[in-house]
Amino acid sequence: MSILRIAAVFIALAAFPAIAQADANRYEIGVDGLSCPFCSYGIEKELSAVKGVDTLGVDIKRGVVTVRMKAGASLDEAQARKATKDAGFKMRSFTRLSGK
Amino acid sequence: MSIRHLSFAAAMAAITAIGAALAAPVQAGPISFNSALTLSSKEFVFRELFVFEDSGDDPSGQDRDRHALSSLSVLGYGVDETLALFAVVPFHYRRLRITTDGERRTRDATGLGDIRLFGKYTAVRRNWTARAFRLSPFAGIELPTGASDENDRFGRLPASVQLGSGSFDPFGGITATYQTLDYQIDAQLSYQANTEANNFEFGDVARADISGQLRLLPRKITGGVPGFLYGVLELNLIHGGKNRDNGAAVGNSGGVTLFVTPGLQYVTRRWILEAVVQLPVIQNLNGTALEKSHVVRAGIRVNF
Repeated sequence: MSILRIAAVFIALAAFPAIAQADANRYEIGVDGLSCPFCSYGIEKELSAVKGVDTLGVDIKRGVVTVRMKAGASLDEAQARKATKDAGFKMRSFTRLSGK
Repeated sequence: MSIRHLSFAAAMAAITAIGAALAAPVQAGPISFNSALTLSSKEFVFRELFVFEDSGDDPSGQDRDRHALSSLSVLGYGVDETLALFAVVPFHYRRLRITTDGERRTRDATGLGDIRLFGKYTAVRRNWTARAFRLSPFAGIELPTGASDENDRFGRLPASVQLGSGSFDPFGGITATYQTLDYQIDAQLSYQANTEANNFEFGDVARADISGQLRLLPRKITGGVPGFLYGVLELNLIHGGKNRDNGAAVGNSGGVTLFVTPGLQYVTRRWILEAVVQLPVIQNLNGTALEKSHVVRAGIRVNF
């Protein structure tokens, strides 16, 4: 049993840098004009095409897209603004969530 | 009546005042006409719509009844965030039963119809948090790709059974959309100028349409992008001019029809399922023009 605990601790320690790095690359983009599920695909497609984007999620109620970048990558505000505009919407805000 | 329902009614009245047809809707929104919502840059949408149409109540004494089944395949492409291009490829089955000289005859045709190509430009765009407004003029042309000179053993098929008009027919209009998370209102004005082919010319068609979609489910949005179930109610006012045969107006053609069109629409991020039934509440048709019984439209849209 103790061997299992030690193994779990090692796995957690090994994963910690990756988690910390990923958290350092999260952004929240406020998007005006997002008002139906079908329309949200457009902004997902545009932002997914930005180099370095790992995953993203849309909260349609708040009009917010959360973007997680790959390790070592960062999201430029101008890139986010262009992707939002190309999707037919307007960027309301741009916030780096952590790792400042 | 809740504030939400009051604001829905107010917005519907407001956009009617603004004023804003073609069977090629390509975004979440109205089902029997166009939406002002545009595609994202480099985004595609595909739509397959099935239309079932029955006409009867023949006042001519020939006991005519007409049945039509069409599939409309629509492909749209967002050139950029303001301009979108569409192609509508129809496939028709049209059948007319008629009593002539005491004999009951069935006349029908099946095949490709007239392809429509059009572009839509978003001239006005307003974005707010969870709300949007768009105003988009559109213009296009209907190509004579459907057969317009088909015959059967009784002779040349009547124009209402032919698969195409044989003519190049330009059309245009303007469409407006106001959308929130709770509801969406669309309105459209359009005009199609039909031209002559084979010594026959269909009457021009003018339309005014309005559509309201109210979110029924989920009752409350908690986060993410859930699928929405909308209740849909549309009004379609259609004026058809008189056809012209060898330069002379055909008295038994054209007129005004008003449809009330209820339906349901389920909208997700990638696809939409939808169905409406168009019920004619006013049919002020010329002469013995055949009245519509009902039209059913059902289909799916997918974006990619």
